[in-house]
Amino acid sequence: MKGLKGILENLRPAFEEGGRLARLKPIFQALDHFLFAAAEKTPNPPFGRDPLDVKRYMSLVILALLPSFAAAVYFFGWRVLLMLLVSYAAGGLVEVLFAVIRKEEINEGFLVTGFIFPLILPPGIPLWLVAIGVSFGVLIGKEIFGGTGRNLFNPALVGRVFLAIGYPAALTSTWVQPLAQPWGRLLAPFGLGVPDALTSATPLGLAKSGALTGAFELFVGRTAGSAGETSALAILLGGVFLILVGVASWRTVLAVLASFVGLTAILHGLLPAAVPPVWFHLLSGGLLFGAFFMATDPVSGPVTRAGKWAFGFLIGAAAIFIRSFSGYVEGVMFAILLGNIFAPLIDEIVIRLKSRRYANER
Amino acid sequence: MNITPVWAIFIGSIFTNNILFASFLGMCSFLVCSNKIDTALGLGSAVVFVMFCTTILNYVLYYYLLVPLKLEFLGFLIFIAVIAAFVQFVEMFVERFSPDLYYALGIFLPLITVNCAILGAALFMVIRKYNFVQSTFYGLGAGLGWALAIVLMAGLREKMGYSNVPTPLRGTGVVMMVAGVIAMAFMGFAGMLNIQ
Repeated sequence: MKGLKGILENLRPAFEEGGRLARLKPIFQALDHFLFAAAEKTPNPPFGRDPLDVKRYMSLVILALLPSFAAAVYFFGWRVLLMLLVSYAAGGLVEVLFAVIRKEEINEGFLVTGFIFPLILPPGIPLWLVAIGVSFGVLIGKEIFGGTGRNLFNPALVGRVFLAIGYPAALTSTWVQPLAQPWGRLLAPFGLGVPDALTSATPLGLAKSGALTGAFELFVGRTAGSAGETSALAILLGGVFLILVGVASWRTVLAVLASFVGLTAILHGLLPAAVPPVWFHLLSGGLLFGAFFMATDPVSGPVTRAGKWAFGFLIGAAAIFIRSFSGYVEGVMFAILLGNIFAPLIDEIVIRLKSRRYANER
Repeated sequence: MNITPVWAIFIGSIFTNNILFASFLGMCSFLVCSNKIDTALGLGSAVVFVMFCTTILNYVLYYYLLVPLKLEFLGFLIFIAVIAAFVQFVEMFVERFSPDLYYALGIFLPLITVNCAILGAALFMVIRKYNFVQSTFYGLGAGLGWALAIVLMAGLREKMGYSNVPTPLRGTGVVMMVAGVIAMAFMGFAGMLNIQ
């Protein structure tokens, strides 16, 4: 480590103002921050000391995503790792270009977006679509607003919805069926191309024709689906950890799940033929992954506590309505994006109601 | 004859076939007046009221005057004239009887005359062959949908005050992009209710 530090210190002057490589300072800075702590000191107050800075925040999310990633590799093979590399490369390029041109720091937020993105895609998707989706998501979902912390929408979701609408055929026919062997798909050969073990239906798609997948298969994740969303077990492991360390808001998660379960129960009671039972809807598709990892995004969600409840209720309701009645089989991504759109308005309403109450108390 | 149930037309015109995010009508005032939530709310409610009333008026005029006289080709002219006259009338009425509301709405009332969403609602009513009750609820729903759209955009734009948008995109550019993302999200409702 000492030697590495020495190399970095030797290089530092070249990247400072007036140096030969001053334009590329964001890249150097990111490397420096990633390997060591920040070298720059805050010159003037206010000074804040908090062990949970953006970097730790983001690395905790990545840690929580690891079980889902491991499950994705186990069930769908090493191709998921390739997708992750493409996602990081393409999205990272957009991020670095913006940082260099706008002379800002490279932000760690991208590490989470780039990690989540392959996990919400079908595992057999062509790799160039991964690159297009993540670039669109980072560009339109985040960079045009000035980067992490200033975005209105969850960038990974913007990319995912863009692909779902723009390339519907590729996004609905590239599901991969997991193998039944105890070593999963870990030993299966893989390549850059589209794998040949494709299936055209996820549990939600099969349910439209009346075939329900078993609860155990859904819980463990041995079903076709987006790479990281199939294993409820792995998502719960990471999600509960994320709530315990205080990164994800339990209010949001609970509100999404409660409204989803409640409405599904009602709809199943009214239309048992069209709407599968609660356990099935809860364990299949992207609901759990969305509730734990995407709805809880602190930037694109509401800030107020009451707002978080309303936001969660809205997402759960929209998810089951789109799943049951719209042309799309899965509605969670649209639901969370709609939640992001309503979030500022929800916050505004909550704050106005509160300030009116305080005004009346006086 | 259109057999879509009235509740489907009402809900559908707010969400699944939102006149702004699905048909992109009424963009000009949507872009200009979505800076603040309060302004957006004022313009939105004015649009709801005007769209509701003019759809009814246009329905009556079209089916009880133009159709019997075989003058359907005058539809465009009549619709625009009705909308403009109605807005003028409402403006005078509001100014006389509720000055507070008049000053709150300010420039928005006359602006509504040129809001193409209102003309669009009257034309959709004819193209989709709605009957009287369907037209009434369609006018109300489309107005509410437009109001919802502009208020949502105003909320996002207020939050965007903390953003650092690249200079060339500031103003209309970034708002168009945000509107595109919202439209993508609303596409999730596609196929849920068919109100054609």
